[in-house]
Amino acid sequence: MDLDIIPNGLAAGSLYALIAVGFNILYRPTNVFNFAQGDLVMLGAMIGASAMAAGAPWVIALAAAAVFVGLIALLENAVAVAPVVRRSSVSHAWIISTLAYSLIIDNLVGHAWGPDPIRVDPPAPLSTTTFTVAGMRTSSYQIALIVGTALMILLIERFYRTRSGKAVMAVAEDRDAALLRGIDPGRLSRWSFFLGGGFAAVAGLLASPVLYASTQLGPALLIKGFEAAAIGGVGNNRGALVAGWILGLAEALGGSLLSPGYQQASTFVLLLVILLIQPRGLFGQPEARNV
Amino acid sequence: MTALLQVEAIDVGYGHVGVLENVSLTVDQGSIVALVGSNGAGKSTLLRAISGLLRPRRGRIVFAGTDLAGAPPNRVVDAGILHVAEGRRLFRQQSVDDNLELGLYGARIARSNVAARYARVFELFPVLAERRRSRAGVLSGGQQQMLAIAQALMREPRLLMLDEPSLGLAPIIVDQVLEVLLRLRDGGTTILLVEQMVERALEIADFGFVLQNGRLIGQGPAAELARSDIVTSAYVGAKQHN
Repeated sequence: MDLDIIPNGLAAGSLYALIAVGFNILYRPTNVFNFAQGDLVMLGAMIGASAMAAGAPWVIALAAAAVFVGLIALLENAVAVAPVVRRSSVSHAWIISTLAYSLIIDNLVGHAWGPDPIRVDPPAPLSTTTFTVAGMRTSSYQIALIVGTALMILLIERFYRTRSGKAVMAVAEDRDAALLRGIDPGRLSRWSFFLGGGFAAVAGLLASPVLYASTQLGPALLIKGFEAAAIGGVGNNRGALVAGWILGLAEALGGSLLSPGYQQASTFVLLLVILLIQPRGLFGQPEARNV
Repeated sequence: MTALLQVEAIDVGYGHVGVLENVSLTVDQGSIVALVGSNGAGKSTLLRAISGLLRPRRGRIVFAGTDLAGAPPNRVVDAGILHVAEGRRLFRQQSVDDNLELGLYGARIARSNVAARYARVFELFPVLAERRRSRAGVLSGGQQQMLAIAQALMREPRLLMLDEPSLGLAPIIVDQVLEVLLRLRDGGTTILLVEQMVERALEIADFGFVLQNGRLIGQGPAAELARSDIVTSAYVGAKQHN
C-alpha cells in the first residue's frame, strides 16, 4: 500500500470539510440545507480563476470571489429561502427552491465561461510540485490546504462562542423562543448566507489548483460535502472536519486497494455504514425534545 | 394608577381561524394582572399578539404611549415587554450562563452593569448560580422555569408576561415562583400572568381578566373575582362547548 494516500486523502478531505462547513453555516440559523452550495463553490472558483487570469494577485482574486459569491448567496436567501421560511418554518419547499437556484447558477456559469476547465496556480510561495517526506509524496500546497482548513474551521467555531454566534445557535434550536428574546432570525440568516457564500467561494478557489475550475466542480463537491456533513452530524463543524478527512482517506484507500473506479463507491459505503450505526452522524447531537 | 399597557379592541387569529374577538385589557403600572380562562380560551394567543409573534387584524396595543400592534418581536422586546412562553422555551443545548447571556441579546447596556444583572437573577434564583455551566436541557423542570424567567429578567423588563409558569411543577416550586413574582412586583416590575391555577393566580394578582372562547367575559379586582362565580362559569361554560 502506498503511503501517499495519507496526504492525498487528507487534502481532498479538507475540501470536503470546507463544503460541509459551508452547508452548516447556512443550516444553523435557517434549518435549510442549501442545495446550491456546490454551485456557489463552483462560481467562486470560476470568478477567482478569471480574476487571476486577468492578472489579479491571489488574495485579491479570493476577496473578489468571496464578496461576489456572498452577494449571490444573499440573493438566494432573498428569493429562494426567506419567502419560503417566512410562510412556514417547518415547510420543506426550500428543497426545490434552492435546487432551482443551483440550476440557474449552473446554466448562467455554463453560458458565461463555457465547459473548459481552467487551470489555477496556487498562491506563491506554495506550489503543487511534489516532494517526499517520511515516505509520502506531497506538496507544499497540500500541506497548506490541510493545515489552513483546520485553522479556518477552528476560527469559525470560535465565532459561535460569541453572543452573535450563540444567538445563531438559539435560532437553530427554537426560532420562536429566539424571537421572544429580541433575536431577529431574518438578520442572522442574511449574515449567514453572505458569510456562507463567501466561505463557499474560498473553498472553490482553494480546490482549483487540485481539481481545476470548471462547471463540473459544483455537482462533484456538492455530493462529497453532503457526505461529510452527514457523517460529521449536520450543523457540527468540528465533526465536518473529521468526517471530511475520514472520507478523503477512505476514498484514497478505496482507490488504492481496489481500483480508482471504486473511489466513489467506497465513500458511499462508508456513509451508509456510519449512518446505519449512528443515524445523526458521528458527532450529531440528539435533537432537543419538548416534553 | 397609570396604565402601562392598553390592549384596545383587538382581533387575532391564525390563518382564517379567528381566536380573539374585540378583546380589550389594561395593565396598570406596578401591578400583577392575572388573565384566566379555560384551555383554548385564547390566553396564549393574546400574549403572542402582544409580543409580536402574531399580528392583530384589528385594534391597538399601546405600551407606554406607543402603539406596538404589528411591531416585530425585537421591537417589542426593545420597548421593554418580555414574554416567558409556555413550556419553558429555553435553549436547551446551551449552558445556563449562555441562556442568561442571550437574555441580553441586543440590549444596549454598559458593560459595567452586566455583572449586576447576573447578580440580581442569581439572588432571586440562587439554585441557578450553582448550575451556571450546566446545559439548560438537563435542569429539572422547576429550574428550567426559573431560568426562563431569569433570562427575561436579564433585560430588566418594564412588563413581564408569563404563560403558565406553574405548568408541570411541584407545588413547593410553584410557591417559590409566585413568591418571586411578588418580589418583582414590589420592585416595580409590572406583571401579566396567564395561569391555569386560577385560585393561586388571583391570590397574588391585583386585578384579573376572564377570557372565554376568545372574548372577555369578566374583569375586576382579583379578590372580588376570586369570590364571584364568573370564573367558575368560564370553566363550566367552556366545558359545555367542548
